[in-house]
Amino acid sequence: MFSVSSYFSVEYLLILLPLCILLYLILPKTARRVTLLLFSYAFFWAVSGKLIVYLLAATLSVYAFGLWLGRILDAQKQALSACEKSEKKAVRSRYHTKLLRVVSLAVLLQIVVLLVLKYSPFFSDNLNSLMRILHIQVTLKRPNFAVPIGISFYTLQAASYLIDVYHQKIPADRNLFRFALFISFFPQIMEGPICRYSDTAAQLWDVPKIRWENFVRGSERILYGLMKKTVAADRLNLLIDNVFTTYDTYDGFVICLAAVCYTIQLYMDFSGTMDVVIGSGEIFGIIMPENFRRPFFSRTISEFWTRWHITLGTWFKDYLFYPVSMSKPMKRLTSRSRKRFGNHYGPLVSGSIALFAVWICNGLWHGSGWHYIVFGLYHFVLILTGSLILPLSISLAQKLHIDRNHIVYRILQIIRTFLLVCAGELIFRARSLGEAVGMLRKIGTDFTLDALHSHTLFTYGMDRKDYLILLLFLVMVFVLSLLKERGVRIRESIAKKGIAVHAAVWIAAILFIIIFGAYGQGYLPVDPIYAKF
Amino acid sequence: MEQLYEILEEMNPEVDFHTETALIDDHLLDSLTVLALISELEDAFDITIPAVEIVPANFNSAEAMWELVTRLMEE
Repeated sequence: MFSVSSYFSVEYLLILLPLCILLYLILPKTARRVTLLLFSYAFFWAVSGKLIVYLLAATLSVYAFGLWLGRILDAQKQALSACEKSEKKAVRSRYHTKLLRVVSLAVLLQIVVLLVLKYSPFFSDNLNSLMRILHIQVTLKRPNFAVPIGISFYTLQAASYLIDVYHQKIPADRNLFRFALFISFFPQIMEGPICRYSDTAAQLWDVPKIRWENFVRGSERILYGLMKKTVAADRLNLLIDNVFTTYDTYDGFVICLAAVCYTIQLYMDFSGTMDVVIGSGEIFGIIMPENFRRPFFSRTISEFWTRWHITLGTWFKDYLFYPVSMSKPMKRLTSRSRKRFGNHYGPLVSGSIALFAVWICNGLWHGSGWHYIVFGLYHFVLILTGSLILPLSISLAQKLHIDRNHIVYRILQIIRTFLLVCAGELIFRARSLGEAVGMLRKIGTDFTLDALHSHTLFTYGMDRKDYLILLLFLVMVFVLSLLKERGVRIRESIAKKGIAVHAAVWIAAILFIIIFGAYGQGYLPVDPIYAKF
Repeated sequence: MEQLYEILEEMNPEVDFHTETALIDDHLLDSLTVLALISELEDAFDITIPAVEIVPANFNSAEAMWELVTRLMEE
């Protein structure tokens, strides 16, 4: 059977995507919409097989709930126009209750499906452990559901649609096919970005003709993503796999190295995938939201999360953080705590409760394991600490006449943030919480530079040549990122060039991948990391 | 408007609120600071800012915030 394992696979890049582009080019507008939808379902079928039934069920149920919300909103509008001014508040309140019930039921349904499919083994394991501790002679059977790839992404996308309809930010979509395309668009269904209905639905339905400029920009971005994956992410995989699987045979220095390598690998794999995804969309003239904005230039952890997996961060901010912190009980708490703790620390009380909820969910969203929850809590503690010490840090800098915007101070902040991120990724990559603790303990108690002195560093899965190629590639990515950070629009300036320049870029990129890509004997290609979340 | 500038400058004295027009987009105000700011604005101007109004367009500049405040005061 035809199957697709990732956006970097031959099946996607050389069969599915080119075939879709070809059909899209020759077909009229209406048929182009059908093509995109059919290819989206074909892609999902090729990735998840019969589990496509979950996607279809989610699409139909969310579409129906959207229509239901739309009908209640229409009825509210009519009732408001027909009633006296004095009655409007009561009418609004009556309809608000109805709307809230429907949207809660709709969102809950999607979340319950996600929880049952993805988390029931985790919950049953923990319940069984708890019952053993309490000497209760009952053992729950461990469920083992097949989980459709991309469920964590399309569930959040569906929930955002329902909540936006409820808030009247968007109208309920009456066109089932447009809505189905928004949920299932094949370049983004597996790993995001998590799009809002207002971001992509209209663009997807518009199906503009493929323009040469878009094809050039999209294909060049795809090649850049492929370079990140094959030259860096795959090259690092053997070393990371070796160290994280048998960490007890390595000293603290090697574990630190593996944590740094994993952070780089995760970035190269996920941002590389986003380059392929967003590049694929660009070819069709679809602009999807960016998921990365040069995260390793962040000065604080809080800033890091506004530059890394942006669409997940904004989802949690818009649909969890603000609704929780702006709820009536939380506002009352904020008001009371401001009187007690002042203007800076007061709002942090309710803010920290909302932030805690966000980071527990963020950790769990990534996977069902305690180390994911601890990963979330780790970032919660870092962000909260950053906010708590900010006034102290500003006043201390003023007293010591330190310019917090000085380049040296900023570079030190960037290095500190990077190291904190690497420590978090160590917890994230570990196979269990116990192993994460074991690795951190080894860093603290068994840290030597023996691997450097004895040159064993080159035996863990990367030889001298690998280190050199990786270093050169990282320097290239760093320079390109630095230029972009400073406002240099590299892609835009290349896009204006003629076909000869583009042909040179394509050939150079393909040759670069062929010559410096880590594939074949001695390498272990990395599976798409974010697809399993 | 002056009262708004005073609140903002007290919040973060390192930012020039008279000229900045991308306070959220450039991450000069993070989520917790926005929360503190909302609480201040609600008390100072006797308004209620609903969660749906917390979008970058309403908080990217002092001007935008002032527009939001005056609109909510009129409602």
